Amino acid sequence: MRILIVEDDLEAAGVMVRGLTEAGHDCVSAADGEEGLKAARDGEFDVMIVDRMMPKMDGVTLVETLRREGDRTPVLFLSALGEVADRVDGLQAGADDYLVKPYAFPELIARIEALARRRDTGSVNTLLRVGELEMDLIARTVHRAGKEIDLQPREFQLLEFMMRHAGQSVTRTMLLEKVWHYHFDPQTNVIDVHISRLRSKIDKGFDRPMLQTVRGAGYRLDA
Amino acid sequence: MRLPRIFRTTPFRLTLLFLALFASAASAFLAYIYVATAGEATRRTDQEIRREMRSLTDVYDRAGVDAVNQSLIERAASERPFLYLLMTRNGERISGSIEESPVEEFTGEPAWATFQVTDLDVQGREVKHPARGLQQRLSGGQILFVGADVGADEAYVAKIVNALRGAVVLVVVLGLAGGILVSRNVSRAMASLTDVVDRVRGGELGARAHVRGTRDEFDELAQGVNEMLDRLERSMAGHKHAGDAIAHDLRSPLTRLRARLEAAYLDVEAGKGDPRQALAQALEDTDGVLKTFGAVLSIARLQAAGQAPDPQVFDPAELGADIAELYEPLCEDKDIDFAAEFAQGLTIRGNREFLAQALANILDNAVKYTPAGGAIMLRVRRRSSGEVEFSVTDTGPGVPEHDRERVIQRFVRLENSRNEPGAGLGLSLVAAVAEAHGGRLELSEGPGKVDDKGPGLRVALILPRA
Repeated sequence: MRILIVEDDLEAAGVMVRGLTEAGHDCVSAADGEEGLKAARDGEFDVMIVDRMMPKMDGVTLVETLRREGDRTPVLFLSALGEVADRVDGLQAGADDYLVKPYAFPELIARIEALARRRDTGSVNTLLRVGELEMDLIARTVHRAGKEIDLQPREFQLLEFMMRHAGQSVTRTMLLEKVWHYHFDPQTNVIDVHISRLRSKIDKGFDRPMLQTVRGAGYRLDA
Repeated sequence: MRLPRIFRTTPFRLTLLFLALFASAASAFLAYIYVATAGEATRRTDQEIRREMRSLTDVYDRAGVDAVNQSLIERAASERPFLYLLMTRNGERISGSIEESPVEEFTGEPAWATFQVTDLDVQGREVKHPARGLQQRLSGGQILFVGADVGADEAYVAKIVNALRGAVVLVVVLGLAGGILVSRNVSRAMASLTDVVDRVRGGELGARAHVRGTRDEFDELAQGVNEMLDRLERSMAGHKHAGDAIAHDLRSPLTRLRARLEAAYLDVEAGKGDPRQALAQALEDTDGVLKTFGAVLSIARLQAAGQAPDPQVFDPAELGADIAELYEPLCEDKDIDFAAEFAQGLTIRGNREFLAQALANILDNAVKYTPAGGAIMLRVRRRSSGEVEFSVTDTGPGVPEHDRERVIQRFVRLENSRNEPGAGLGLSLVAAVAEAHGGRLELSEGPGKVDDKGPGLRVALILPRA
């Protein structure tokens, strides 16, 4: 993936470039908003990571400008503030996701990959398929290897998210945000319990478990 | 030259302005009254003179000049206020009460004249009175003059003018005095406010304006200023407290983190051991610090703002069900019996995200402290006061009554629960959320001791009705 990093903190940008390069991505970085805008206009990127507060042009303006020009590249917004209003501002400007600094690196990678993936599967598919697993979004049914699996509504949503991001790590925070629509970290392992319930339904009685736990990151659904 | 302070005040200047306006209005009024009364007096005198003249010409036309002469003598002797002069065709005096006509050039047409008559006052002194008269030719050629003393009328007008002049002087003096008095009063009220502003500017944030209890606009302003200062002071105190709290709560984990990193560094220097373990631990510590930091910041911001951001109106039962659904599997996993009960048809106004987090924190605590085999109950109900109450009751060890207040305070964790994970900020954040919504947090005893367990804790988040 080609990733544009627009971040004025050079050390933070350096860490990101290194980490993302190691994860197999191709990175370009810009040190301020104007430079970032120029780079975004000149190049083709799969995802952009944009810091909120930067000299010359702030992140909100940068994203707004790009969107106005018709650039639909997925944008992950970074902010050190983490206020509710900031998240709303960022998303309203046209950013696709929002991450508060400081973040754990697996969280950043998981979100970037989720963003890039979303772009790929923009089509309206009523049937999701991951390996033996099949989900019919209209009939609200799930089958694994032809055997019907009975899921509660929330479990269905959880599995749908996991299937849409199959093969990628998704973090607990992402799940709480995208499936439950809450933006805080619960202190206890509430998400883990939901995952283990789901796991017991889709993996029980099958040789190979599909729902994996990724140490230090979260979970991954493998085909 | 510097004017005394009172002369520089706005109310005093306004007083002067109004006085000037009043004085001009009074002058115009005076002029009008003068013209109206003096003119009226002259008109009346002229009318009377004309009537007298007519009556005398009637006498002449009926009975001739001798009858007029006779009439003049009679009339002059009576109390009638007229002056008469009957002259020959050539202007020679025949009879009358004055010696010669004040009309200097008589053409034969009726002519008016203004003149002076000499009279004696009560002390025998000579006084002059203004007078007016009409002279005209009789049909037989003789000339007749009829005049009247207008001194009495003029004196009357002069009296009115004098009275008005006195009134104007009185008004100006009273107005000035009143203006000074009002300015003093207003200036005092303003001075008290100015004083408070000065003191606050000087750093004395506790200064408050005096509210006199008169309920006027100055009281309103003073009250407004005081409320603003209260809020400012609370917000400043909140920030200061947040600063202290952050320093307090972050110092120990940061110290621990530093020690760990130092030990790892020394190990690597000495060429022994794998630093990965220490680094992983350091990362975990850092996450803990950041989490604490975030919670402290949220609390401080809520307290400083004093209100919930982006409030919306929604059904508390729906929020309760959402959170129940999130926590139910966790309870089941820990072998805790979870039950929920939601009253329908209620509405609250607030920030859904913060309230959800508050409920999550309460449930986190309940799950943490309730042993396996226990029970947790989440309930949303309407109190008889109309308030909406979210409550979580558990069968854990509970919190002794004397500790309940302290539990809500920031960063306090009870001594015997030190070994449990958690930053100790859970309930403080809940309290801050409750306060920001105009509500409160109440801790009470749970269902009581059963089989050596309990007595449990009941945490209630009470919000005002929407």
